[in-house]
Amino acid sequence: MMNRLKNLPTLRVNTSEKVSVTYRGKQYEGFKGDTVASLLYANGIRIFGRSLKYHRPRGLYSLDGECSNTCMQIDDIPNERAENIPARDGMNIREQNVKGSAEKDMMGFIDKLDWAMPAGFYYHTMHRPAKMWPVAMKQIRKAAGLGTLNQNFNRHERFDEIFPKTEVCVIGGGPAGMAAALEAADKGVRVILLESRPWLGGFYEYRTSVDESGNFLYSKARTLAEKVEAHPDIRVFKHTFMVGAYNNNLITAFQRGGETESFHERYIEIRAQSVVVATGCIERPLIFENNERPGVMQAGCAHRLCRTYGILPGKAAVFSIGHDTGLEAAVDLFDMGLKIACIADLREDGQDPELLEKVKGRKIPYYPGRVATEALGKKRVTGVKVGTIDGTVEETYTCDLVVASAGFTPVTGPITINQGKLKFDEHTGFFLPSVLPDKTHVAGRINGLGNPASIEASGKLAGLRAAAECGKDLTGEIDEAQGELNDLPGPQRGSKFVTGPVSGRKSYICFDEDTTIKNIKQAIRKGFDVPELIKRYTSAGTGPGQGGIPGHNLPLFTAKFKAEENEKIRPTNQRPPLVPLFLSTYAGTNHDMAKRTPMHDRQKKDGGIFRRLGVWRRARYFSNDFSCRKEIENVRNNVGILDGSTLGKFRIHGPDALKALQRVYISNMEKVKQGRVKYTAMCNDDGCVIDDGVITKLAENDYFFTTSTGRAGSTVEWIRYHTRFDGWDFNLVNLTDALGVINLSGPNSRKVIEKVTDQDISDQALPFSGVKEYTISDDIPVTVMRLGFVGELSYELHVPSSYMESAWDLLLEAGKEFHIKNFGVEAQNVLRMEKGHVILGQESEQRTNLTDINMGFLWYRKKKEAKTVGNVALEQTVNDTGRLKLVGIKMKDPSRAPGDGCVIVDDTRVRGYVCTIRKSFSVEGVIGMALVEQPLAKNGTTVFVYEDECKGNLSEAQVVPMPFYDPEGKRMKA
Amino acid sequence: MALTITCPVCGKRDGYEFRYGGEDKGPRPDEEGLTPENWCDYVHMNDCVAGIQKEWWYHRDGCGVWFSTHRDTTTNLEISDSEVK
Repeated sequence: MMNRLKNLPTLRVNTSEKVSVTYRGKQYEGFKGDTVASLLYANGIRIFGRSLKYHRPRGLYSLDGECSNTCMQIDDIPNERAENIPARDGMNIREQNVKGSAEKDMMGFIDKLDWAMPAGFYYHTMHRPAKMWPVAMKQIRKAAGLGTLNQNFNRHERFDEIFPKTEVCVIGGGPAGMAAALEAADKGVRVILLESRPWLGGFYEYRTSVDESGNFLYSKARTLAEKVEAHPDIRVFKHTFMVGAYNNNLITAFQRGGETESFHERYIEIRAQSVVVATGCIERPLIFENNERPGVMQAGCAHRLCRTYGILPGKAAVFSIGHDTGLEAAVDLFDMGLKIACIADLREDGQDPELLEKVKGRKIPYYPGRVATEALGKKRVTGVKVGTIDGTVEETYTCDLVVASAGFTPVTGPITINQGKLKFDEHTGFFLPSVLPDKTHVAGRINGLGNPASIEASGKLAGLRAAAECGKDLTGEIDEAQGELNDLPGPQRGSKFVTGPVSGRKSYICFDEDTTIKNIKQAIRKGFDVPELIKRYTSAGTGPGQGGIPGHNLPLFTAKFKAEENEKIRPTNQRPPLVPLFLSTYAGTNHDMAKRTPMHDRQKKDGGIFRRLGVWRRARYFSNDFSCRKEIENVRNNVGILDGSTLGKFRIHGPDALKALQRVYISNMEKVKQGRVKYTAMCNDDGCVIDDGVITKLAENDYFFTTSTGRAGSTVEWIRYHTRFDGWDFNLVNLTDALGVINLSGPNSRKVIEKVTDQDISDQALPFSGVKEYTISDDIPVTVMRLGFVGELSYELHVPSSYMESAWDLLLEAGKEFHIKNFGVEAQNVLRMEKGHVILGQESEQRTNLTDINMGFLWYRKKKEAKTVGNVALEQTVNDTGRLKLVGIKMKDPSRAPGDGCVIVDDTRVRGYVCTIRKSFSVEGVIGMALVEQPLAKNGTTVFVYEDECKGNLSEAQVVPMPFYDPEGKRMKA
Repeated sequence: MALTITCPVCGKRDGYEFRYGGEDKGPRPDEEGLTPENWCDYVHMNDCVAGIQKEWWYHRDGCGVWFSTHRDTTTNLEISDSEVK
């Protein structure tokens, strides 16, 4: 390991705790607190990967993940930014987009072929002849890529999501953000503070210069951070990246979990009343020939490598900078042992005289009005050419580090993605917000401020304004804070300078997409002459860095090249997510949330095989024989028991209950009587059938009804929706979870119930379609309905959920001698199909109306005043001929059933489809139901079933009458 | 979801909790004399206003009330409190 600077007060690595990672099969050591990038850099690794298009070597540039330079494959996950990922023991790291290694990439020769790939070459050259495209595409994809996907990769990490609410959300945990958060919180509002680095402090964090009271900036940052973190009304999220801002001030972000946190990443969606954007600045990339050669880095990057990670970034450096913090970095790095060949400052004047004194005192050659024009060295920097801005003088220096920065660029993404507008500002050279989103404030360096006191004062002001919007009366204090800020130094001077006198062939404006100045010029000449068009034509700013590097440089360069007025310059749009994140993070915890019936565990113990059904998990089979022959035969011959608790169960009562029922049910609900159940259906306004179930009257204007499993969740909504204009007085209670349902079916079912109750359950006492209250085992109140869904003597027992297990046990015990057995949803499906009973959604689809499935008998047409949902459409479609009708079919081949959903075809087209079809054990052959065009619906018609992979061999079937089983219904009415 | 909706019972809540019930088209028309066209218009045709629209919402994950409110469809912001008090 390289010698690391120790005992610096600013360090964020713990030099007593080692971390070891594997890179290209070799072990490398670093310290706790290192990022993957700083660990590798400390070990002398300079080339982190190769660029997308030209396979140019790329290295550490900014430390904040604004470009793809440090994208690496970490533990099989491609495109991880090594500069943002904390190093952990045992990490396995590989470089990306290389054939060979990052040092020796066999594809490196492509860099020389750039002349063959002008801007937009993809659109111009690869599509003619058209046949060539697939070939070319394959080759291009092979050469250009970002990491490789392991097909067998499975995520094992935990992802989380939270949805906090707050009054004020502060984005950015630097001095301005912290000042804003403290000020707002002190006024009694709740604050959430987001910071992308793993610690608070921002722009102060690594700096050893002092403010006017003589405090070191870094120690000031730590004092502020302590205050913020100790404040009970501030919730701090560190290592959290803001990714989106939406109206009503909804802020989305994600947080990286540390080693002690329970999540790998977590999605955070914050509902704030007001927002303070204190995102500060990134450095404005300086563009010159080979400006992304490993060894070229921004001033802040070099400074932080030293101060935060204890790594002296090089041996001998040349600085080409455009702002005072560049000078400050040079002085500080010089003092830490870096040799500096020269400092080129693109400003002619306006420098901080104190800093100039310090430079002079250290005898560092200093040239105002000069700028780097070309970095030398094949794979890493070995020297640099520096010249005057007009290009008249040029000198060459030998060095292994070029610190290059044109100035600062404000991080405006959080404002523009929420429809804020930017305007170029002459004085600062910044795009400053001209229109802010509602209840949003900006503070700190994003305004162009550089003086520490001004930065903090602007934070304070923004915090007060945000608190005021949350209902605090702070007019006086705001005026005071505004006055205080006005007395402090204002925004610093800047320029729109981004590039010196260069040809531009190897001057990169966008690193991610390998876009050069030359490419931009080519695009402009082609007529794509505004940043939004250039972006699309050259793909500058469309890479993983989301426009971090070219974001503001592209409009600035374009304006300069076209000699455009500043008024007209507009940066390209940014879009969420501002920082790339995993889709798994958006997905969050990803529980498979399903409801369980009261009998879930019991059925599981009995060997039930469960399947998801809507919001429920239900026992579909009770053996590995998925034909369910034994279950079916036991119901037909003895008695079966089924858990039907998922059925929707409702009570409606109140003076207008009947009116509401008449509105939504298609039958005449006046006919619903006490002691009897009525089968009926609901349609939608197209007459299409959406639900069926039974209803009984409990008392005057008091009814109990069931819905299908899938409709249970939306029935209250449906009934209230269709009565919303009427002002009717009724109460609707969802009893679905309050009651369990036991379905007892088979010729022996009556005998089973007789054994558990003293009450009369004979055919006379409870005939078919009857309903009656029973008490079983002297204790358990049960509503028993006599129904016949499966076509046998059958009872539906509605039992309070808490009694379900006891009732179930009693019935099982009583049924032992009658061979009672579980049956599952699949057995029920076959049983009812044999009886010709439909399941909506299976024997119907969106277009299927009531008459299509032969249920027109339910329809009562003479209640026009009820305005029944579906009535109008049914009347209007009753004579339509072009509809699919439900029929019974029987396959010619009795040995094997085609799958549900197979289409029915003739020579030219699809004529319908199979809804449910099974090999029957109760009757002969393979039988089922199908929806077919009306002309095919006549009994005896031959239809043809097309199965997947049947290779044109259609299966023959015949339309037959239904029901298949017990057509007279003698068994269920027995 | 950025949208917030003001429920007349529960107050201002996240849009996640609600279900959209469509534009306000008035009560169901009388069935007498309805043509298929008129009926289809009532059920399926919408004004799709770019601007302020009166519309129905259901507080599904809350109190279960249907209510109407005004929303500016160009900004996706509720423009005033809901009507039903």
